Amino acid sequence: MGVKMVGARIKRVEDPRLLRGEGAFVDDIDLPGVLHMAVLRSPHAHARVLSVDVGPARELRGVVDAFSAADLGPDPAAIPVLFPVETSRDTPQYALARDAVRYVGEGVAVVVAESRHVAEDALELIEVEYEVLDAVVDSAAAIEPGAPVLHAAAPDNVGARLVYSVGDVDSAFEKADRVVKDRLDMQRYTGIPLETRGVAATRDAVTGELTIWASNQWPHILRGIVAGILGMPERSVRVITPDVGGGFGTKAEVYPEDVLVPLAASRLDRPVKWIEDRNEHFLTLVHSREQTHDLEFAFDADRRITGLRATLITDIGAYQRTLAVINSSLAGTSIAGVYDIPNVHVEVICAATNKSPASPYRGAGAPESAFARERLMDIAARELDIDRAELRRRNLIKPEQMPYDTGMASVEAAVVLDSGDFPAALDEALKMVDYDGFAEKQRTARADGRLIGLGICVYHQLAGTGPFEGASVRVDPSGQVTVNSGAAPQGQGTATMLAQIVADELQVDHESIKVVFGDTGRIGFGVGTFASRNAVMSGTSVLMAATKVREKAMELAAHLLEANVNDLELEEGHAQVKGSPQSRLSLTEIAAAAAPGGSRPPGMEPDLESVQYFENHAAPYSFGVHIAEVEVDRNTGLVEISRYVVVNDAGVIINPMVAEGQIAGGVAQGLGGALMEELVYDAQGQPQSASFMDYILPGSLDVPEIEVGHLHSPSPLNPLGVKGMGEGGAIGGHSAVANAVADAIEHLGVRVTKTPLKPSVVWELIQSAGQQGP
Amino acid sequence: MSRKVDETAVVAGADSTTERSITVTVNGERFERTVSVRKSLVDFVREDLRLTGSHVGCEHGVCGACTVLVDDEPVRACLMLAVQANGKVLMTVEGIAGEDDELHPVQQAFWENHGLQCGFCTPGILLTTYDFLQEKKNPTSGEIREALSGNVCRCTGYQNIVRSVQAADQEWER
Repeated sequence: MGVKMVGARIKRVEDPRLLRGEGAFVDDIDLPGVLHMAVLRSPHAHARVLSVDVGPARELRGVVDAFSAADLGPDPAAIPVLFPVETSRDTPQYALARDAVRYVGEGVAVVVAESRHVAEDALELIEVEYEVLDAVVDSAAAIEPGAPVLHAAAPDNVGARLVYSVGDVDSAFEKADRVVKDRLDMQRYTGIPLETRGVAATRDAVTGELTIWASNQWPHILRGIVAGILGMPERSVRVITPDVGGGFGTKAEVYPEDVLVPLAASRLDRPVKWIEDRNEHFLTLVHSREQTHDLEFAFDADRRITGLRATLITDIGAYQRTLAVINSSLAGTSIAGVYDIPNVHVEVICAATNKSPASPYRGAGAPESAFARERLMDIAARELDIDRAELRRRNLIKPEQMPYDTGMASVEAAVVLDSGDFPAALDEALKMVDYDGFAEKQRTARADGRLIGLGICVYHQLAGTGPFEGASVRVDPSGQVTVNSGAAPQGQGTATMLAQIVADELQVDHESIKVVFGDTGRIGFGVGTFASRNAVMSGTSVLMAATKVREKAMELAAHLLEANVNDLELEEGHAQVKGSPQSRLSLTEIAAAAAPGGSRPPGMEPDLESVQYFENHAAPYSFGVHIAEVEVDRNTGLVEISRYVVVNDAGVIINPMVAEGQIAGGVAQGLGGALMEELVYDAQGQPQSASFMDYILPGSLDVPEIEVGHLHSPSPLNPLGVKGMGEGGAIGGHSAVANAVADAIEHLGVRVTKTPLKPSVVWELIQSAGQQGP
Repeated sequence: MSRKVDETAVVAGADSTTERSITVTVNGERFERTVSVRKSLVDFVREDLRLTGSHVGCEHGVCGACTVLVDDEPVRACLMLAVQANGKVLMTVEGIAGEDDELHPVQQAFWENHGLQCGFCTPGILLTTYDFLQEKKNPTSGEIREALSGNVCRCTGYQNIVRSVQAADQEWER
């Protein structure tokens, strides 16, 4: 001890269990007598449901229950939208389809049986009569007059329309020296965690309490919503998110199955579980990213951007569930990004289509907006004949402008950048990659017939959203320190980070601290783990609670030692009079005295525990610069990433090893989006990418070594000075790689405006240039 | 005591065409069980033997999370039926650490090099690594990436996994 743990590169306390195969993911939990649920899913993208007959399924031996929407009463509650806007149309989803299905995979009926095999056998016996309707799968087509209509409440298929405006953009464009514009499309892709979703539930016969285990990122929110839909008081529902095998935003959602499993368990008074298979996962997981950007920049003669005008169409899929327009809102308010642009006008149209509903995935709108902005930056640099790094440098927000108020507010909060030196980050990254030497390297390669390119992405990310997070810290009378947090992590090393924070505060070994999270039974209020919030929100709330515990311990020690509290210090888990280690009390002794019946000063409450909630109304912004170097095989269109450099600034870093792991993992997902990942539907709305054979994830041969440099601009918005950073890799990765591919081939006379840049796409671009190399 | 639901009992007309008795040795322990012939090896290991460290990630043989060793060869346990393992010797993630409860050098290397995040793919990657390093010493990073190319990790971006395998190669006396 004595060494500060915050900032230390230490190995994770989470790992030994996971390495031994002792993880407890939802499907690993042993529920004696558990029944298995299976869901009958719509094979049609759009159809009226004329009738559903579960009767034949009920006849199969081993089937315990089968039901459809008709069995759930005439007026069931829908999954609610958490942040509706004024223009939001009511297009909700119910636990089971009522009169229509609107995407392939939508649940129509369920079977509960003694085994999953039997449950799936029984699905085949359910009789459903559909009247197939025309489907619409393209978001631009969906908002054209005459398109098939998904919801009567949104006859133009517009789920919501968002407008963000600062300054006088029309005037900026009138006065512009030059205008550069293009349409930039990002494809539909999403988190695809390796553990699929899963839910198990059981009701306690004595207390009536329903316990739900879910592979989910926000247990408290899930509890509130499921309790509401089932008509139960919150106190009668406990949600536990055990080990969760990846989420990336896709499990910060309330899905129909999150309602159906507890409902089935309640109907039957037996434990029920449903583990999503990979096919269901592709059909029904929240999708993300699919967004079209008509973007234009107005430049003055000095190549300063004086105006930004954008129309975005977000493909929100078939229904608006919990986070509905959040992704669109965050995309709209982040599109100007790290640049100082005085006049901005953005309109975002949320278009409904016959596809699985969309919701934020790692980066939440920022990967999309960064792609459009950073791609257009490179296009502008080429059109205006200016170096792309110089063009960025000229327009970056300067450190002396911090805090920088963009004048915009997303659905969540005002967009105010709290701290940072963007130009320094850019210069550092350019230096790491030897940007000045690249032009010559590229000329030489081209002379050899090779296509190499370098791509830059400068971005910021919303890093720790509110509104609050909760934590308790307790030293029990045996001296053991337990932390309860409202967090619900999925591999981010949160237990280690929180233990590091508490170790510094209480001067105890971090490995001795037990960190518990993902359990609504442990702490009254919580929000969860998404939007890069753990370090900022959980970290600060845990720090607040630990500080309170330390203060109380010292006060009690002063009482016991008959000393002045100001004369005491805390060293190695002992309170002692400064410089007099012979008169010391261990935390164990202090905690024992704090127990009811112990020796406390008058007026001091018993127990050595504090519950604290950190409420914030302004989130920090971390930022980064990513630079990728690629080589494109002109004969196959295959892209190989030869070098990858990241400069990241997330303020104070609690554990650099964990932070770098987050960056590398994020970059892998970003380059997956740039080069390979895509959720494809045919014109009738049939998914064409519903297995790992069709949806390609980055493998060990696709992801390069990632070189990371850190800058540290502490956030003034929390006492730790931390900023979240888990999403940045996915934001920078997509655009840096896409820009690098563009840089490798655009001199041939083509323009890269969409992703993914699959080999076939790149090959066709090269062919379209009509310039076959030697 | 938990009430065991015998899945085979509810399969319509259970007989020798729908269930079989098999004997397997897993992590040194011998098990004799009656299983449904349509049950995959990974479901058998997880449900019947309650060894839940082997994970089910895709059930179509791509992600590698369910990898176990069958007669010393890595196998996708989602693509093999339990009945096909009759008479075979298996090793799962639970069998990697020694009797003394110490982490195996491969596990220790993953711990020290942050070779895992959510931990879901980890059991399959550990067994793939275990098999690879038994056959290979001083592998290059390219050879390691090739060896791991059948295991998907969605969290780490692989570089810390590669470092973990390199460290395991140095530390594991074999």
